[in-house]
Amino acid sequence: MVNLTIDGKQITVSKTATIYEAAVEAGIKIPVLCYAKKLLPYGACRVCLVEVEQMKGRLIPSCTTPVTEGMVVTSISDEIRKVRKTVLEFLLVNHVIECPVCDKGGECDLQDLTYELGVNSNRFEGEKFNLPTDEVNPLIERNMNRCVLCGKCARVCDEIVGYGSYSFINRGFETKIATAFDRGLDCEFCGQCVSMCPVGAILPRPFKFKARPWQLREVDSVCGYCGNGCTVTFGVLNDKVETIRYNDKNGVNDGNLCVRGRFGYSFINSGDRLTKPLVKKGEQLVEVEWDEALKAVADGLKKAQAENGVGILSGARLTNEEFYLLKNLAKLIGTGNLDHSGGECYKGVTEGLLATLGICSSTGTFPQVEQADVVLSIRSDFYETHPVFGMVVNQTVKRNKAELFIVGDKNGKFGKLPGARTLLHKPGLEVNVLNSMSQVLIEDGLAVTEGVEGVDALKKSLAAYTPEKVEATTGVSAEEIRVAARALAGAKQSAILLAYGLPYTAQSKEIAIAAANLAILSGNIGKGESGLYLCGEKANSQGAIDCGVLPSAGGMGAQQMLEAAGQGKLSALYVVGEDPMTSFPDRSKVEKALMTADFVVVQDLFLSPTAELADVVLPAASFAEKNGTFTNAERRIQRVRPGVPSPGEAKTDYDILTLLAARLGEKVNFTGPAALFAALADEAGYTGIDYEKIGPQGIVWGGETVTVKKKMLVFVDGAKPIAGDFLLLTGSALYHSGTMSTRATGPQAVVSEAYVEFNFEDAKGLQIVDESVVSIKADGIELKLKAKVGKRLPKGVLFAPYHFSEARINSLYKGEAAISVQVSK
Amino acid sequence: MIREFIKGLSITFKHMLPGNSTTVQYPRKGHRLPTAERFRGLHRLVPAQDREKCVACYLCPTVCPAKCITVESAENEKGEKYPAVYKIDLLRCIFCGYCVEACPVEAIEMTGDYELANYKREDFTFEKQRLIR
Repeated sequence: MVNLTIDGKQITVSKTATIYEAAVEAGIKIPVLCYAKKLLPYGACRVCLVEVEQMKGRLIPSCTTPVTEGMVVTSISDEIRKVRKTVLEFLLVNHVIECPVCDKGGECDLQDLTYELGVNSNRFEGEKFNLPTDEVNPLIERNMNRCVLCGKCARVCDEIVGYGSYSFINRGFETKIATAFDRGLDCEFCGQCVSMCPVGAILPRPFKFKARPWQLREVDSVCGYCGNGCTVTFGVLNDKVETIRYNDKNGVNDGNLCVRGRFGYSFINSGDRLTKPLVKKGEQLVEVEWDEALKAVADGLKKAQAENGVGILSGARLTNEEFYLLKNLAKLIGTGNLDHSGGECYKGVTEGLLATLGICSSTGTFPQVEQADVVLSIRSDFYETHPVFGMVVNQTVKRNKAELFIVGDKNGKFGKLPGARTLLHKPGLEVNVLNSMSQVLIEDGLAVTEGVEGVDALKKSLAAYTPEKVEATTGVSAEEIRVAARALAGAKQSAILLAYGLPYTAQSKEIAIAAANLAILSGNIGKGESGLYLCGEKANSQGAIDCGVLPSAGGMGAQQMLEAAGQGKLSALYVVGEDPMTSFPDRSKVEKALMTADFVVVQDLFLSPTAELADVVLPAASFAEKNGTFTNAERRIQRVRPGVPSPGEAKTDYDILTLLAARLGEKVNFTGPAALFAALADEAGYTGIDYEKIGPQGIVWGGETVTVKKKMLVFVDGAKPIAGDFLLLTGSALYHSGTMSTRATGPQAVVSEAYVEFNFEDAKGLQIVDESVVSIKADGIELKLKAKVGKRLPKGVLFAPYHFSEARINSLYKGEAAISVQVSK
Repeated sequence: MIREFIKGLSITFKHMLPGNSTTVQYPRKGHRLPTAERFRGLHRLVPAQDREKCVACYLCPTVCPAKCITVESAENEKGEKYPAVYKIDLLRCIFCGYCVEACPVEAIEMTGDYELANYKREDFTFEKQRLIR
């Protein structure tokens, strides 16, 4: 610690702090333009100049100068004010004064400073820029005439996003921020640059001219897309979410968001939202009153339960409280057939981890990953499914020089990070590679075996997984496997990342077990702040597991329910917040189940392909209309708050489930989410957590590091390589999450339809170029998709995202790791 | 004494002669009375070449103490910001003139027009078309 004096105030700060940070801690305000807490110090704007007693003769930039013992700082004096004013005058020489039409007006740092320092006239004259604005892309508008060259956009894109879209070009007065070759922006569109820009040079295009910042009501909530659980702040105007505001004070995401979080909110305001309950009369779904719809549902479910039974399929974007109500409803109906999204994948992963570690959640929290020195990411789509957690990994690798290994079947964004090594295997062989890494650890005597069960059995079974043998089957070089395994064992603090989701159902149990084995053997489990991270695809996947939205003893899981319904062994299906027709593997199976079941209820926001086949459709509310809690992938319970009312007569799942339960004879009526949370806390493992005390940072259940219940090694056999000239993989695209984002204009503006991605060599061989329509055939089913050619995929591998309903990817994808397909033009 | 009396009455009677009255037969004659230059009457949106001068910066609705101004901005085909909706509810307006003072582009003025009576409540809401003059 270092002692210093700022404006006569004695303070003690850590020795790595800068003068600016010390001043912030002491509550002294120093103006800044180019400083941001999450970025490295830069010192571009010179607005934060201060006087330091020990460095007399010149003014010192406080944001880049580290503190030293006994430093005496003056943060404001006449001289400092004069210099700051001059700096602003310089900036205003070429900054166009178009505040009335600039959307930043009202929250612009330059505007505020100019006002604060009273810069009413300018002693300098110069030309105003008249550069063309970048309005080509649909999400981010750049007007470089307003730029003050603070470099925040370039820095955030490089340091945190790891994309590197921007840099300074030209010199002197002509300097500006530009993309490569000064073209239009073509990037991830995460909008991090938008959130960082202190002036109106980079703005969100969907919000253009919509409102002034002071008109917006800010509501803190949690993003409803992936399991990362980023906090978002809605900017609400006239009961409509108009934008997502920058807020780095809440949650663990430091204000970082991805394209979905920042621009994917528009489905909330969509005109396609269901506003009235629908009941099938004849062949048509007809709008009816709630009373009639609820009666139909209650009667239908009762009747079905008396016949062959009811199955309840839930999505993973309900709040914890709603999950609890759903579980109660299942009990009330008397069915044990309850499951959430996909079943297979979620169930597989949880079963796998329960068998080996006795828990089914991440063992650490996201901030701990930042300190790791070795990171292993399993599955190459990790950045696509959890972009903001991906940004944490970016920082770990770029700032802390952590070693990053990726076990994946395609090259991804992570692979481009400095020093990252991709263990590129043939599709579906993750387990083989992980097993081989475990084998190396045991063979080299690096394995941690103290207090571990099943070591000898595993050792014997793993004999077939020497790196050399695995190299032959998977294509990953033996040397790479050895390097990765040894690095993981030698790490002071490591992180193993495992994402799961609907398009990744193949071998999920096996992968979970193999990853847990590796975590145990490498000492990842139980070593300080190291951790195994289990990242669910949806906003409340972890909550669904915690609340036990799983088949009860003797009950059927998701896939079994669909199978039973297809064979007429299940009379009713109640689908809540999920579109199985689009997102579940094997569309024909889902379709058959929905057609055969006598009674189908769908509770959703939109008339999805699943809802079209329903007997009753209940209009539900989006995450922005709900009150409750979500539990994210690091076990953080965070508050979801309603920002807007539901459109028309749509109701929250909470209300619907309560009304339905009352009709089915429920006597208990909860007063609200807080009461429900108290009721579910013990069952879900949230004991001792008070709903009212969940603050802006949320509460992590089980503490920062969870102690595993056991360390049990279980052998799982790897898979055989899948034969075929072309193997089609499905998965998540960066711009989308589940099927909901296809209803949002932001993500749709970037990727609006399904595509199939080719390796450029394959494409050349098949004479395919971008945008050409290709036919993909397997099992007698033919899909026509637009092609996208790139360098990401290895030869012979194709990729198609699963989000788009009309593309019918799941008519080919039946839950396998990769599908052997024929490709023709 | 009588002389002074006559002198005084002559001034009085002079006013009774035609053309010397200060009383205006409003509203039967002389529909519009002259107002002072700084009189604050009905607002006017100043037109520019092919559009209104207003750039929809929202300063007038923000500063308005009576909250009687509604602005909705939008982007026109040239990519400029313009007021798609500009409404003043005169039943709420207190004619303080803050909107004029706040306007950064001198797009709103107050005219001498004080005849603002109407038969229907709706007619007191002045839309953009009625304000541009």
